[in-house]
Amino acid sequence: MIKIDKPAWETMLDHARRTYPSECCGAMLGRVEATGKAVSLAIPLENAYQGCQRERYELRPEDLLWADRQARERQLDLVGIYHSHPDCAAYFSETDLKNSCPWYSFIVLSIRRGEFDHATSWLPNVEQTQADPEELIHPAQEQQCQKS
Amino acid sequence: MPKILIPTPLRQYVEKQDSVEIDGATVGELLDKLSGAYPDLRRHLFSDEGKLRSFVNIYVNDEDIRYLGREATAVQPADTISIVPSVAGGASAALSHEEILRYSRHLIMPEVGMDGQLKLKQAKVLLIGAGGLGSPLALYLAAAGVGRIGLVDFDVVDVTNLQRQIIHGTSDVGRKKLDSAAEAMLEINPNIQVDRHETALSSENALHILRDYDVIVDGTDNFPTRYLVNDACVLLGKPNVYGSIFRFEGQATVFAYPGGPCYRCLYAEPPPPGLVPSCAEGGVLGILPGLIGTVQATETVKLILGIGQPLVGRLLLYDALSMRIRELKLRRDPECPVCGDHPTIRELIDYHQFCGVTPEEAGPTEWDIEAPDVKTRMDRGDRFVLVDVREPHEYQICRLPNSRLIPLGDLPKRVNELDTAEEIIAHCRSGVRSAKAIDFLRKAGFRKLRNLRGGILAWSDKVDPRVPKY
Repeated sequence: MIKIDKPAWETMLDHARRTYPSECCGAMLGRVEATGKAVSLAIPLENAYQGCQRERYELRPEDLLWADRQARERQLDLVGIYHSHPDCAAYFSETDLKNSCPWYSFIVLSIRRGEFDHATSWLPNVEQTQADPEELIHPAQEQQCQKS
Repeated sequence: MPKILIPTPLRQYVEKQDSVEIDGATVGELLDKLSGAYPDLRRHLFSDEGKLRSFVNIYVNDEDIRYLGREATAVQPADTISIVPSVAGGASAALSHEEILRYSRHLIMPEVGMDGQLKLKQAKVLLIGAGGLGSPLALYLAAAGVGRIGLVDFDVVDVTNLQRQIIHGTSDVGRKKLDSAAEAMLEINPNIQVDRHETALSSENALHILRDYDVIVDGTDNFPTRYLVNDACVLLGKPNVYGSIFRFEGQATVFAYPGGPCYRCLYAEPPPPGLVPSCAEGGVLGILPGLIGTVQATETVKLILGIGQPLVGRLLLYDALSMRIRELKLRRDPECPVCGDHPTIRELIDYHQFCGVTPEEAGPTEWDIEAPDVKTRMDRGDRFVLVDVREPHEYQICRLPNSRLIPLGDLPKRVNELDTAEEIIAHCRSGVRSAKAIDFLRKAGFRKLRNLRGGILAWSDKVDPRVPKY
């Protein structure tokens, strides 16, 4: 289970809306507790993909190194990575899987016509052959009218 | 000593430390010592071939070792080594130009469109059985662009399959059904992945195999597997697209859909063994699995796309002879032992025992006689009555010399035609019905009884190949 705090969630959504129709990506910092992960800070990072960013993203390792240092300085942990899927569902694509890292939760935000639609979280395996869905709790769930 | 910073998720493998100090001259030496000291960490950093995993980057201070000397990069005692993940991705399951053209008749319908076609490409569907129902299912789901299709089967293609199992051809006889089917699917659509599970689905492996898929499609022909698939789907929360066929009639529905019924809500208990004949015993119109299988394929695609009204809570009944389709309402049973409000079955059970059948073919019984022994006795001129308990239309296909036809169902009213003083040898096609006949006659007071083990099939194999098998 992964739970996103309101300020972190707003940072992520704001980032995803701003980059629409391109994909955005960033790091999620928080704590790993017995009940699950709790995200308290989202750090937008640059999409470094060289090409059409409407359906691709890439994180620079240097940026993740920097995000990890931010986490250590704040006594937090780097617990996950988020990115957006503009105008399509929040599935974990083959591209997502083949470029994933099993150490983190991967949150996918579906943005349709520039607005948030739904989100999912995934836990890829070490072989990058399979990603299991992870329960995701976020502030938009209360007001959201779930579309399937 | 150089310090290696450990990412949070990996700290569990290094006694919860956030960094480890290790002595060494190069990055390679440090990593080697690190994974030597903490063996559980090794597989997270290195592949089975001993290479750093693709998602692992190593930094010495602020420099990526890929741009220094890779694993031979020298390290100084004051250096900090970081293990940094490499992450990318994106929605692009991206259809290629070829795929866009291939799926154009889907893409121009708003109900499918690019979104839907990508959902199909992302979808993982498991087909249990690559036979009658499995044939149209596998062909159409492959053509529709379902990205990953698993097949569970352990059979080889037999000539008697070809009348209905259209995914296999005459030249495939004797091949594994998995290979024959996968080849046909990839010929239709090379963009998909076919997983071959060469095994009989069992309580031991079912959850493991089913877990990887989004939708399970049941194309099996026996009760133990049907209950097994049902229970596994309920336990895993995956929809079970069900179909069954017999002679001229078929059924289809979707079980284990959230809020909907499961197979046990419809049939809480299996029928007594032997009461419901299989297609091998009762026959099936070759076209029938084509229709029911395509209904299952349609429901599978609808579930993936999330469009239309799924066939949930409705049992479709198709009768080819009257060419009528009816619907029965099904409701989830709150008392259902698997999907009810207070389930009592929380793990897979022994389904062969539950259905009262033994998985292995029964060994010879004291009543059995082998086909060559019957032939020897015939040639010797022994006195006995050879009773054929098959149906008249089967008798027309082939018969054994000097046999007397008394169909199993007629035996009770025609039992007076037989004499308890005479020895009776009963036979049918495979030996199952004649065993029932022997059982009946034994209860009726006959004692000099024999069952021709293996029936016509054994006779054709062991005595006279001019008698055709069917």
